[in-house]
Amino acid sequence: MMRILPPWLRSARVLGGLTIVVIISLCAVFAPLLAPHDPNEQDLIATFLPPVWAKGGQAAYLLGTDSLGRDVLSRLIYGARVAMMVAVLASFGAMMIGGTLAYIAGYFGGRIDSLIGRAVDVWMSFPPVIMSLILMVGLGVGLRNVILAIILVDWTRFCRVLRSEVLVVARKDYVAAARLVGFSHWRTVTREIVPATLPLLITLVSLEMGIAVIVEAILSFVGMSVSSNTPAWGQMIADARQYIYDSPWNLLFPILAIFFAVFGFNLLGDGLRRTLDVRLTATQRV
Amino acid sequence: MDMLIAKNLGVSAALPDGSVPVIQELNFSLPQGKVLGLVGESGAGKSMIGRTIAQLLPPGFSVTAGELMFDGQDLVRMPAETRRELLGREIAFIPQEPLSGLNPVLTIGRQIDEHLARLGIGNARARRDHALGMLNDVHLSHGADLLDKYPHQLSGGMCQRVLIAMAFASRPKLLVADEPTTALDVTIQARIVQLIAEMQERDGTSVVFITHDLRLAAQVCDNILVLYAGRPAEYGPARSVFAQPAHPYTRCLQLSNPAMSGPRRALYALPERMPGLSAIKGIEGCLFAPRCPKVVPECTRALPPFVDVADGQVAACIRPETTATIAAPALSASDAPQAGVPLLEVRGLTKTFRIGGGLFRNRAFTAVKDVSFTLHQNEFIGIVGESGSGKSTVARMLCGLERPTEGEFEIDGREVSDGSTSSRAHLRAHVQMVFQDPQSALNPRRRIASIVTQAMEAAGGTSGKERLERAEALLLEIGLPPDAARRFPTQLSGGQRQRVNIARALCVAPNILIADEIVSGLDVSVQAQLLNLLMQLRRKRGFSMLFISHDLSVVRYLCDRMLVMYRGEVVESGPTDRIFAAPSHPYTRTLLAAVPPDDPSAVWSPQPLETDVVAPADMLQEANV
Ligand code: SF4
Repeated sequence: MMRILPPWLRSARVLGGLTIVVIISLCAVFAPLLAPHDPNEQDLIATFLPPVWAKGGQAAYLLGTDSLGRDVLSRLIYGARVAMMVAVLASFGAMMIGGTLAYIAGYFGGRIDSLIGRAVDVWMSFPPVIMSLILMVGLGVGLRNVILAIILVDWTRFCRVLRSEVLVVARKDYVAAARLVGFSHWRTVTREIVPATLPLLITLVSLEMGIAVIVEAILSFVGMSVSSNTPAWGQMIADARQYIYDSPWNLLFPILAIFFAVFGFNLLGDGLRRTLDVRLTATQRV
Repeated sequence: MDMLIAKNLGVSAALPDGSVPVIQELNFSLPQGKVLGLVGESGAGKSMIGRTIAQLLPPGFSVTAGELMFDGQDLVRMPAETRRELLGREIAFIPQEPLSGLNPVLTIGRQIDEHLARLGIGNARARRDHALGMLNDVHLSHGADLLDKYPHQLSGGMCQRVLIAMAFASRPKLLVADEPTTALDVTIQARIVQLIAEMQERDGTSVVFITHDLRLAAQVCDNILVLYAGRPAEYGPARSVFAQPAHPYTRCLQLSNPAMSGPRRALYALPERMPGLSAIKGIEGCLFAPRCPKVVPECTRALPPFVDVADGQVAACIRPETTATIAAPALSASDAPQAGVPLLEVRGLTKTFRIGGGLFRNRAFTAVKDVSFTLHQNEFIGIVGESGSGKSTVARMLCGLERPTEGEFEIDGREVSDGSTSSRAHLRAHVQMVFQDPQSALNPRRRIASIVTQAMEAAGGTSGKERLERAEALLLEIGLPPDAARRFPTQLSGGQRQRVNIARALCVAPNILIADEIVSGLDVSVQAQLLNLLMQLRRKRGFSMLFISHDLSVVRYLCDRMLVMYRGEVVESGPTDRIFAAPSHPYTRTLLAAVPPDDPSAVWSPQPLETDVVAPADMLQEANV
């Protein structure tokens, strides 16, 4: 059966981004199957091994080993679990809070809107880095708190961007018409407004995932995220930093992994924005 | 001497399946100091001629035949630099959308200054004096204040005047005005047309006046060229083309436009619409044949030649002698049914908006003040007024989208303005609204079937199949093929979308329809189709309607009674015929005088308004923010 692909699936950006995100997700889900070694298994005779293609590399350790002789490739694959978990949970959490408030503010307008707008403004007046550090100190370390901190810091981003879009859609006559034929507020929002703003929402989530990956890496770098026996990319960087002269590879691979993930999310987000945003595609067509 | 001559001009567009003529066999000559009207509906190619003059054709479009001579030079074949020298200096343009002609981020003064600098007035001082003089010429007082303003701080009419001033700054030999008044209110439209005439006379400029309004063209132009699907249908002196149209299309255009005086007659509604670019190739012979009431088999043999029908008047038709016999069907008595019992009673309706945030929260603006009237069963009441007169706010209050600040209204004997759930339900069952802009009123993500039966979806308890059947029945009733039910709004034309818009409102079988400017922006032939449809639906279903419009002729055709609103108040109300015959309020008289008369030889004397009616509209916009 031949079906024409929707335009967003024909965009090179979306395809590229999607491929990367799928690869990382597969790594995260099937880490125990994919990883050649246990990520915490130490081999103290084989520390600081370079990757297999460099001089002295061993086929058993494709990307080499770290200071304790742990397999870098396996640690990277397992690290994807933490990264993806934070990316998914944090961005969905931020979307739930920010999105809900944005729909309420944009749809009802007036007092409620200005109240929510004020709250967002006050919230955003704190620099995000400082705010997340304060939150981490207050909440204590741990992966759950990392996710919570990202949600608490970043919901405003959703709220602000989405609200202005909801405002535009809510002013359309078809929304008024839906009310006139007897749609309840709930039905009007879910049937008329949400579908129109869904492209933006998806785009924002995808961009937020990239941000969450970076934030988690930073926090696990400073040791505020997962405990030391759970492999995470930020932690790998922190470990490798001490031995940068002995084994620069150890530093390079987790950095590349983070870069790869963020690049994938951003590419996907950007591609979706370009293909799903009606206004943008309309102007390009002219 | 002829300023602009088109000789057998042809423009083609390259489409995927070959090239299609956009303009063909265009011939005219525009003598110096005269006005040529290019008339036609959207898609006729009239703007393409303006673009050809500016050599701003869209990609894929090119001049394929003939020549276009400006002051003895061929505009098509001249080098780009020569043309650039001419454009803006010897050939000036006035765009349709005044706001699009101005840069929103620069002050008016800056833009005029830049324009004058380009024209070679070196000294900043001199440029400023010149600018003030120019603004004075277009009757914009307070010129000095205006120079510091941004375009969005001015009304559309004022922006258009600024553009006219700029266009005439270089004393051009040729002016191309592309629908310069469509976006404006009638009184301002009259003012702008007068202004162009005044400046044109002063400088002896030749003008190409592009418009869809045959009546306006007959009034302001010396010659008229009627275009149909890119090919001239008729060309000749304005008066004779209007008085004795020789081409059936011209005649039909005329008959589809409601008259401003004389007995009310039915509108002639041309079927379908003008063929689009891709459809032109499929038509054999006369392009108008598929819609022509006088079509005979010979018409489809070849493109009809241009025949001289009278002194200087040519028509592309093989049977011009039959044109005069085209007549609109007579209005039957059932088209003016007896008004029944009172359905809607409005008493002292008032709406006040609070404007501004923070410190200025207390500023209030009364959009609607003390409006009262009664709408009877089977009655169509027209509300006329300019933008900002509060007519749309009345509509929004009556269908429950806005709560009145004061006053109340009763529907079918039940008070409903309190906003409670039960009165909302009562309101919904009796009143439905048809929105102005079908683009915004139809959710682009829903199929037509789902749009027109939204009321059933809201009520629940119906299956998808039932709804589809109902949708098809409704579509049939409003004159769309039932298979349109499966399409999306973007796949329909503007007129068809407006029909869907009406169908949705009719789904709950309301007894009151509120129609807010539903035919503005549509071509006259489509407008006539819709107006006739409304008449026909009333005959069949028997409902009342509140018809809000800025177009007096449409209100005259459709409505039994009318209200004239000015700055939120009803200044005059009564039977339509009485008000048209003997308007009592000065504002009503101004409005009526602003519409060009039916008879082109009658003197058109629109009264100048002291100031633009701008404040209410602006404040309303502010209030919405
Ligand atoms: S040539 Fe025939 S189809 Fe064309 S306008 Fe004349 S009568 Fe109508």
